[in-house]
This record gives sequence, C-alpha cells and structure tokens, in this order.
Amino acid sequence: MMTVFDVMLAATILWTAWTALTAPDRTAAIAAFLVFGLFVGLSWVRLGAPDVAMAEAAIGSGLTGALLLRASRGMTPPAPTRVTAPHRAAAVITAAGVAGVLAWAVLVLPEAAVVYDPLVDANIGDSGVSNPVTAVLLNFRAWDTLLELVVLLAALLLVAALRPIRAARMADLGPLYPPFLRIMAPLSIFLSAHLLWLGTSDPGGAFQAGAVLCGGLLALFFGGTLKTDGPDVMPLWALAVMGVVVFVGAGLLAEALTGTLLEYPDGADKAWILTIESALTLSIGATLLLLFSGLRQGGARP
Amino acid sequence: MTLLELFGYACLCGGAAFLLLAALGLWRFSDLYARLHALTKADTAGVALVALGAGCLDGRLVAIIPLGLTAILVAVSGATTGHLIASAALGEDEGEDENEEAAQP
Repeated sequence: MMTVFDVMLAATILWTAWTALTAPDRTAAIAAFLVFGLFVGLSWVRLGAPDVAMAEAAIGSGLTGALLLRASRGMTPPAPTRVTAPHRAAAVITAAGVAGVLAWAVLVLPEAAVVYDPLVDANIGDSGVSNPVTAVLLNFRAWDTLLELVVLLAALLLVAALRPIRAARMADLGPLYPPFLRIMAPLSIFLSAHLLWLGTSDPGGAFQAGAVLCGGLLALFFGGTLKTDGPDVMPLWALAVMGVVVFVGAGLLAEALTGTLLEYPDGADKAWILTIESALTLSIGATLLLLFSGLRQGGARP
Repeated sequence: MTLLELFGYACLCGGAAFLLLAALGLWRFSDLYARLHALTKADTAGVALVALGAGCLDGRLVAIIPLGLTAILVAVSGATTGHLIASAALGEDEGEDENEEAAQP
C-alpha cells in the first residue's frame, strides 16, 4: 500500500519539477516550484527524516518561493530564447552524467555510511538533548551550524551592499486582512516557540522555528504593521546580527569555562543549547524578513 | 469496530470526497472566480472533515489539538487568501485606474 503512495509521490515530484521548468511565465514556474518543495518535504517524511521535511517545507519551499516571487517582480519578463540542438545535446549529456555519478554513489554508499549513527547513539546522553538531529547540529557539530549562520549573515550583508531594490508597493489588503493578522501573528510566535522547545526532544529546532517566525513577520510586513525602512529597521538588524554574536559569544565563554571551543560545561548542555537556539530563531526570522523586504535602510536613496 | 471509529472513517471519506471535488473544480471550472469558489469552500470543509476523522480514530488530546489547529489555520488562511486573490483579480478586471487607487491606502 505504501509502495503505491511512494511511487505516486515520486511521479508527482518529477511532474511538478517538469512543470516548474516548462511553465510559460515566471509566476507559474515559481508556483510549481512551491508545490514541488512541499512534495519533496513529504518525501523526506517518508524517508524518516521529519527534521529535514520541516526545513524543506518551511525554508526550501515557502520562504525561498516568497523570495523568488519578490525577485521576479523586479525583473523583466523572460525573453523567448531558442535552444539549439547542440545545447540540448550538451544538457542531456551533462544531466545523464550527473545522474549516473549520483546513482553510482548511492549504490556504493551503504558500506561507508553507517559509521556516524552509532557514534551519535553512544554519545547522545552527554549532549543534553534527546533529539539526535539537534544534538548533532548544536553540540557535536556546533561549529558547522555556527558557520551556516555566518553564511546567512554574509548573504544578508551582500544583498545590503547591492543597490537597494525598488520599494515594494503595498496594496491595500482589504477588510479581511486585519482579523487574519490578529489570529496569525500571535499563532506564528506561539508555534515558533513550540518548535524551538520541541527541538530538544522531537523534530523541530531553530531553523524551523525561525522560518515560522519569519512567516508571521512577513504577514505583519504585508499588513503595514511592521515597517522595514526608516528608523524601525535598526532593531531588525540588531536581531539579524544577534544570532552569530550570541553563538560566537557562547563558544568563547565555553572555551573559557571548559578549555574547548563550543564544548558546553557538563550538565548544563540543554540550557546552553536552548539559549543559542533562541537567539538563532530570532536571528533567522529577522534575517529572512530583511532579505525579503529588500533592505531599504534609512529611507530614500538616489 | 466502535461507533466512534466508524464515524471517523466516514469523516475521512467525506473529507477526501470534498478535496477531490475541490481539485476537480480547480481543474474543470472556466474562470478564476468559479475556481476560487470551488477551492476555498470545498478545501476548508475537506481538511476539517479529515482532521475530525483522524481525531476520532486517534482519540488522544495530543493528536486532537494539532489537528484542530490545522483545520482552523487552513480555514482562516484559505478564506483570507481567496478574498485577496479575488479582489486582486477584480481590480485588474476593472481597469488600471481603480488598481492604482487601491494600491495607495
């Protein structure tokens, strides 16, 4: 029974991917990409990786889709291009080659891949949390996560350094929007905090919580309640930078206390992880909102 | 099979039927307003019925709360986005002048 579901799921993923690539206009292509991301998220659930599924659905599909839609508004419609036969042949050969290498890698993989799981299982008692994904992300391999946050901050700074995007023209969203906001904004904060807390024992964590928080912030931004230009933008910038600052600060403090960078003091791991994750959640939410809103700092610029 | 389970399965089937009809409406109806009509209402009812059915089958509070929340969120966001899409399309249909006015609250 589940095999039927899985085959249909795989076929749907391929079909939505094809639709995204061949859609006549950009908005339709992005819509197909959004649906594609949701089905990929579902396939991660089927593969037993709910953490990845949530991240894929919230960030990979939802927020990336929003960023793509936002970017596509500022672009000219795509010019009709004629693809020549040699181009097509080159694309087919490249794609077949990559697919072949990937298939070969997957076939070779099982012998080498089982080293990591027993190590995590053996040490999870020391990590302070019971969700192995959080244990790896915030304890065993916290260094990688710290660098991921730096990458996110670097992306934000890069966008800020480029020419400011034309101001988003906010349409009046009608009488139904304020009541919608009154339900959604508090719920997104509640859900975000829930996911953050849940991350220590079940699927969830800072990235998923940050994405949900960003959804709520975006809803406020669309309603005009939250402004990202003028003096109001400074707290958002402070939040965006805070994640890296708190993470680096915690790493250095741990170094001072235990002698090893990012090695939390024994027994207090959970408190350290939750503190860092709380800062990361706020930071990720603010960063993604600033990326979306186009970073018009300090009002009009030439 | 208890009566509650029977009711749960009936709800699941009814919800699936509503969702199928919504998909059919989205596919077959000719214009945007008719499609929205099919999608928003049938979708909301479908998800709510599926959630109710799943809640009856599971019975635990820890499952019923997220299911109820899901149904409410789908209902609220479906109604709002449906309204937004319809009013945006209406603005485009009635010409650019109106659209410009609507854009500047």
